[in-house]
Amino acid sequence: MFAAGLKCPGCGSSNIVDDDLYCQAQLVCVDCGSVVSEGTLADDPVGGTDVSYSRTTAVTKKPCLNLIKGLERVKEMCRILRLNSEIEDLALTYFRQAYQQESFINVTLQRKEVLAGCCVYVSCRQRDWPITLGTISSLLDADPTLVGGVYQEMIKILNIQAPFVSITDVIEAHVQEYKISAQHVTEELAEDSKVLTKRAVALVELAGDSWIVTGRRPLPIMMAATYLAWQSLNPNKHRLKLSLDKFCHLAKVQKRKPAVMRITELKEVLCKLGRELPWVRETVTQDNVVRLVGDILEHRHTLLTRALRTHETAMQADCPQASALNSPTEEVTPSQRSESRDQTADASSALQLCPTDRTENQEGDDSHQTEDPEPNWGVRVLFAPPCVVHAKRRRVEPPPVQNVTGDEEISDSEIDSYIRTPQEARAFALMQKAVSSSGSGNS
Amino acid sequence: MDDLALERYFDDSIANDPSYMVEEELDLQSSLKQSHESRTNSRNSSNLLGETETSGRLGNDLDLSFLPDDLGNQSSSSTVPATAATHQNAELDVLEDRGINLDNLHGMAVVKRQVTVNLGSERNASPFCPMTPMTPMTPMTPVTEKSGIIPQLQNIVSTVNLGCPLDLKFIALQARNAEYNPKRFAAVIMRIREPRTTALIFSSGKMVCTGAKSEEQSRLAARKYARVVQKLGFPARFLDFKIQNMVASCDVCFPIRLEGLVLTHQQFSSYEPELFPGLIYRMVKPRIVLLIFVSGKVVLTGAKERAEIYEAFENIYPILKGFRKQ
Repeated sequence: MFAAGLKCPGCGSSNIVDDDLYCQAQLVCVDCGSVVSEGTLADDPVGGTDVSYSRTTAVTKKPCLNLIKGLERVKEMCRILRLNSEIEDLALTYFRQAYQQESFINVTLQRKEVLAGCCVYVSCRQRDWPITLGTISSLLDADPTLVGGVYQEMIKILNIQAPFVSITDVIEAHVQEYKISAQHVTEELAEDSKVLTKRAVALVELAGDSWIVTGRRPLPIMMAATYLAWQSLNPNKHRLKLSLDKFCHLAKVQKRKPAVMRITELKEVLCKLGRELPWVRETVTQDNVVRLVGDILEHRHTLLTRALRTHETAMQADCPQASALNSPTEEVTPSQRSESRDQTADASSALQLCPTDRTENQEGDDSHQTEDPEPNWGVRVLFAPPCVVHAKRRRVEPPPVQNVTGDEEISDSEIDSYIRTPQEARAFALMQKAVSSSGSGNS
Repeated sequence: MDDLALERYFDDSIANDPSYMVEEELDLQSSLKQSHESRTNSRNSSNLLGETETSGRLGNDLDLSFLPDDLGNQSSSSTVPATAATHQNAELDVLEDRGINLDNLHGMAVVKRQVTVNLGSERNASPFCPMTPMTPMTPMTPVTEKSGIIPQLQNIVSTVNLGCPLDLKFIALQARNAEYNPKRFAAVIMRIREPRTTALIFSSGKMVCTGAKSEEQSRLAARKYARVVQKLGFPARFLDFKIQNMVASCDVCFPIRLEGLVLTHQQFSSYEPELFPGLIYRMVKPRIVLLIFVSGKVVLTGAKERAEIYEAFENIYPILKGFRKQ
């Protein structure tokens, strides 16, 4: 065998051979016979070589250590979350399958651990066990973005589907985390877990109906719901004074920043409903709505109907002309369409959405009249997703050149404007050299 | 079956529900469904089938002299009840599709009753329309009316082969609008002002052009880049220009219940609010990916032709309308 790239120090030839004498490795030059290098017996690693004899001659492939470790991690997580054996078995199967795939076999140990967490997550969802990705991330102590990425990849590779988990299912498990019962805190601040859960569920349902939940991360909403539920169950001055920060500290839960905004949004919805309470004399504001939460939640369906009706009459009073103007100009075709809409509108009176005829009329109105190119239907409706109500003002780009055929003549002057003059090019080259030399000088 | 009863039935059908013949030609299945709903007496479907077929045959032998001369209106007005009937069916399907628990079950029942009543009344009111081959049938409007919203193209990505190897360092030196950082990316990034686009030019001579708002603009921009490279002294040509991707967006102007959409269209949708606020809908035909947001804004991407985008939006619009009211 020729050892490549080596030169004999004696004669300079590259004709070097591997010559094992008495199991001692030697590199010998063929031409002059001098030994280029040799391994001494004393150089053998202590305790035998890294690769043992049995491993090199093994017939069946043993599962790699990391796979075993990963499976143990899956079992551990299932035990912490107190999942049943069915979910555990499913998670183990998924982990074994995913581990063999090439996108998960040669990756960092952290990624493999995150994969274990994702397998547990998917199994929970497929077996109707409500759990959020946030819980898994905190269990793994990993970045939620990383967990999300691994989750998406795993789903794609294993070609599985995970049914959607709704927030009303998760809230019950979420409230259990809060250490707010009588044994943990003082009498005035304590609350029974079952009662708290019931009210938090009602609040989350209300949030879902009024477009606060869709598209948002569930954890901050659940935190806001729990906080408001706790405050409203016994609205004494101690509870009302306690901020979200202190509440989370008290309940030994990690605070989420967006929860503050969710609390405001939820209170706004409660205010809108609170105004419809017939026995309330004073104006309902963000400060005093917490006391009324119990009543609002109890009668929320009726209050929703009333609020929608009040809103409709208010809108009608505002622009009676607009509706008259638009009935002839409505380009929507056949009478069947408005007919069917009226039917459904009459039928589902209890639930919230915008009064459809109203908004469509006003939309048409806007597009005719105002310069504002995007009619914001969100401000005209009682309940709308907050991203619509507080729409970002987009920079209006100048309208593009119309009627471009793609085969027009391209003027030389335009092309020349994109090319440097020779002087410019020279100056640029000099400048680049100067910058690079100074950079290399500094570094 | 009893002959007398059969005759009685024929007399009945000709007098009252002549549009049976219309239904027969258009959609036998839907007519069976409608007749089931509107007629209270229970007849099994095979019986009905036999009856409609024979009634059709009999109709051809009938004296048609009482028909008005002008048949243009007839054909169009006859399509109206058919459209209405099938529309009501679609309406029912949509109502059933919404697997979300409706608080107002009473309302649901009311709707169903009203719909069936309408079906019945419309069938009685429909005028008679013969099935003679001379009668020109105006093309029927699609079952669901058009949305009236046109998605606006936002970005076009295209590729072209300039057909000759390029010296990127030279280009970066000689061109004003070029940037080249070989350690970061192995291509020159060039921009032009009109149409406002960016191009990635590789040393093999291949080029990617992005940022145009229409196919023609993309082509014009690619030609301009090729001209710049030509002016710099390379024998650039303009080979295999191809549009690779088109992105469009639009606004349906009503909020959408993404949770409901993911429940009913599970095999196409992926909605993970913890990861991304929008729902990712992978339509199979045409093969387009739609990002649907709660605000009603929809982004369509993955198209190679403009028609695919319009088709995809017309496909998704009725689905979204179904999730308008909870």
